[in-house]
Amino acid sequence: MSVMKLSIGPQHPISAHFRFLLDVDGDVVLKLEPDIGYTHRGIEKLAEKRTYLQNLPVIERVNSYCDSAGTMLGYLEAIEEVMGLKVPERAKYLRVIAAELNRIASHLYAASLFSVATGLETMLMWTINDRELILDLLERLTGQRITYTYQTIGGVRFDMPDGFKEEALKRLDYLEKRTEDYYKMLLWNHTFQIRARKVGILKPSDAIKLGIVGPNLRASGVRADVRKDEPYEVYDKFDFSIPTGKNGDSYDRLEVRFKEVEQSIQILRQAIKDIPKGPIKKWTQPIVPQGEAYTRVEAARGEFGYYLVSDGTMKPYRLKITPPSFRNLIALPHLCRNVPLGDIPIIYISLDLIPMDVDR
Amino acid sequence: MILGLSFPQLIELILKVLIFPGLAFPLLFAMIVIWFERKFLARIMLRIGPLHVGPINRTGLFQPIADFLKLIQKEIIVPDNANKFLYNIAPIIAALVASLSVAFIPYALKPDGSYWVIYYTPLSLLVILAIFTARPFIMVAAGWASNSKYCTIGAIRAALQLLAYEVPIALSLASIVIMSGTFDLAKIVEAQSSIWFIIFQPIGFIVILIAMMAELSRRPFDIPFAEQEVVFGWPTEYTGAQFALIMVSEYFDLCAVTSLITVLFLGGWSGPAIPLLNDISPILSGIFWFLLKMAILTVIIIMGRGIYPRLRIDQLLDAGWSVLIPLAITQIIITLLTAQWWLPLVGGV
Repeated sequence: MSVMKLSIGPQHPISAHFRFLLDVDGDVVLKLEPDIGYTHRGIEKLAEKRTYLQNLPVIERVNSYCDSAGTMLGYLEAIEEVMGLKVPERAKYLRVIAAELNRIASHLYAASLFSVATGLETMLMWTINDRELILDLLERLTGQRITYTYQTIGGVRFDMPDGFKEEALKRLDYLEKRTEDYYKMLLWNHTFQIRARKVGILKPSDAIKLGIVGPNLRASGVRADVRKDEPYEVYDKFDFSIPTGKNGDSYDRLEVRFKEVEQSIQILRQAIKDIPKGPIKKWTQPIVPQGEAYTRVEAARGEFGYYLVSDGTMKPYRLKITPPSFRNLIALPHLCRNVPLGDIPIIYISLDLIPMDVDR
Repeated sequence: MILGLSFPQLIELILKVLIFPGLAFPLLFAMIVIWFERKFLARIMLRIGPLHVGPINRTGLFQPIADFLKLIQKEIIVPDNANKFLYNIAPIIAALVASLSVAFIPYALKPDGSYWVIYYTPLSLLVILAIFTARPFIMVAAGWASNSKYCTIGAIRAALQLLAYEVPIALSLASIVIMSGTFDLAKIVEAQSSIWFIIFQPIGFIVILIAMMAELSRRPFDIPFAEQEVVFGWPTEYTGAQFALIMVSEYFDLCAVTSLITVLFLGGWSGPAIPLLNDISPILSGIFWFLLKMAILTVIIIMGRGIYPRLRIDQLLDAGWSVLIPLAITQIIITLLTAQWWLPLVGGV
């Protein structure tokens, strides 16, 4: 049988704003070729034309609908490193709370997409429903559901509203209980297990060689997390563990995300309990002296790298962003060699790639 | 005397063909099941489902009708380079074939001892089996005629799926035929007058239920339609009224399959007489029990969509050959070995 060229996306139920070209022989995919650039917005170039403050809403749109709080953190870290700015303790806690809430929302979103890739729409609705609780919480904290522009140079823009602590703890308790349902419905579902286990196995050595980051790397059994390795903000004050997977298959990649949600809940509880009193922002002029800095943060999808070169003006000279989805994308053609066509959506979704993030 | 029938016979035939189990019944069944499926799955998924269309507030009872009316207004698009004749005729044939099988299924016993069936034949089981086998070929024809890659893959998957479920269905029907000694569906129901075959043959029932879910392409076996892989499988290119016909034919098939399983395993129309219905006509009482059993089976089949992910095609073939076929053969062996106990309990033979 001759090889058929099949194009999936950008208008396809599973592809998002993204296209991949498949070489299909019968039911076996011989080769997958990702075709990126559909959502390219030139954010790195845009950043050079705007001042540091004007850049805030632009930068968080690198990864807007999933993890904008975690994304922004790295940019601010870079600016503050060049400026030598000391951020108040309370602001650091609030930044971490926003980032961790966003991580939970992002992982729930990933789980919903994963279940829809296997054809189970029930979990799509369940996790999206519960993600809404977290987004609602973030709206109370920041005023927005998706793109917050909450963290800013020198701190955060708003303090915690009244009653936020109690409401947050209540919802986290609910979410922790709810996770059991997720396990019953999805992870312990036998049909799901035979569908997701042993699919798209990424060996630890391959994962390191390819430069995979984030939960995908940890699912392969490599214990690497910027929050532990190079603690930024106040992550060194929290007690949490790094969940890792055993086999590095699609199932592990999802399970690691669920376990990370549990860890994020732990971090949030500690952060809400320990948050000190004090100012939420150090007021400064947003003028960055000459210098350069490379910072990395652990966003929901993995390690975000920011390389900032400042020439002492109001605008960055160069801002290089290394998003996690772009790094993880390389695993997709690596894993999709000689696999059944039915496994393509599962492998693709299990890597939790966001096309906007890939293209910038 | 018209067509060699007396006037009451003619009225009865018209009633059968147009209302039950003929034209109106599968349509009504499709409408109710589509509505129920949407509402039921919505509740599983913590959604609300359709709300506004229809007489009773906040039920959305007429949503399927509204959808159907919307679909038939749409333009029919035929893709370039498609085989136009085959492409246009496939949905019609699909709906026709799907609604054909109800003509051979007896739905009730009349007081004079004959059966409430449109066309009576002593080999009705074989006829229905033949009709079911025709379905994948319509899919393949439609998929090929669309001249689209996704459609072609979906059609090939449908054909492959046939291999997985056809043999288990035939084998578990074999043990039914062994027990009842006939291919006549009405006689099979009469054989269950004391005890239903589901009690004798639980394994056979499970095998045929699973295999029929694969036949209907219901989740977890909706591989030919796998949205995430092949968009919508073989009917991807169809629009408007043609799409509506294909969707309705799916539910005609569901109607036929649940009717068949009811006849084979759940004792068809047998059940205690309902006082009020029985006063009007004993036929109605039988039809009530038949529909109730069909409804239970329908709920079970629909529920798969709420709780199971989809299998891969090779996993389905694996399950079909290495699990369902051995189970069906086991059922035949058990049936043969235990003949001395069940034979006195099987009535009417």
